[in-house]
Amino acid sequence: MIPLENFLILSGILFATGLYGVLARRSAILILMSVELMLAAVSINFVAFAAYLDGEAFSGLVFALFVITVAAAEVGLALGIVLRLFRERRTSYVDAADSLKW
Amino acid sequence: MIERLPLPAQFDRIIMVGGTAAALVMTPILVVLLALLIGDEISAAELVFWLAFTVIVAGALGTVLLSNIVHAALALIATLLGVAAIYLLLATEFIALVQILVYGGGVVILIIFGLMMTNAQADPVVTDGSQKPFAAIVGVLLGSIFIAAAIDAEWGAQTAAVVPFRDFGARLFRDFIVPVIIVGVLLDIALSGALVNARPPRDDADEPAAEGEATS
Repeated sequence: MIPLENFLILSGILFATGLYGVLARRSAILILMSVELMLAAVSINFVAFAAYLDGEAFSGLVFALFVITVAAAEVGLALGIVLRLFRERRTSYVDAADSLKW
Repeated sequence: MIERLPLPAQFDRIIMVGGTAAALVMTPILVVLLALLIGDEISAAELVFWLAFTVIVAGALGTVLLSNIVHAALALIATLLGVAAIYLLLATEFIALVQILVYGGGVVILIIFGLMMTNAQADPVVTDGSQKPFAAIVGVLLGSIFIAAAIDAEWGAQTAAVVPFRDFGARLFRDFIVPVIIVGVLLDIALSGALVNARPPRDDADEPAAEGEATS
């Protein structure tokens, strides 16, 4: 049996990589993709804990399902915002979205 | 020769370079893992785990490091499929199938459509910001903390539990019906928000133009 730590280490690496992407990238779509990486890392943790530590193995699965749902909703909404940003500024780089910055 | 659709010339190069790189990386790892498997050092499940591990980490690095956005999207697909393999390994087929359907079929296609529409490839150089070293430091620090905590912690008794498909649906809609309803409302709101944001602007032909200009 694969030890639980392996899954947690994989998830940690994935999350840290996604965080790097969110911080280092400038394109809104690339930031969105990095956020997807972070959400996938969290889902791995939920499912691994559910399979290894929860006797019924259920709550974690439901949480993973909801994370996937929320991620799908988030991508749809965020791409709408990106399209709007592109229409107003002719670019999808987040540096262009500075109307509220003083 | 096989008859095929006319593709851009760079397409061949992408397939050649990407395929060669993937083969060069994956073949030694596969050989080593197979040798370990034959030598009874690792089990078949561990072989699958380490293969998925390699795909996920390589894909994640490609997603955050490649400067071409389409390549990054392809790397993201590889990562998400690897995550689905991890779910299968944890005996949760339903989540794995949902992962492939929603991410591979929906989210990535949406993202690719988004980047086609915003023509984000026009200036790919700008993706590298001056905040890169800071981001690398934060990422490495946080990753080290996660790994150290995972290794250090005492996890207690570990049981590999399996939920049958049928129980999953029954319990989801019986015990978790309120979260399901809330998620339904959330999806509704997200749909409306996406529609409102992505809708093309009206041609204000029959409205006074000054009204729209003043608020923006």
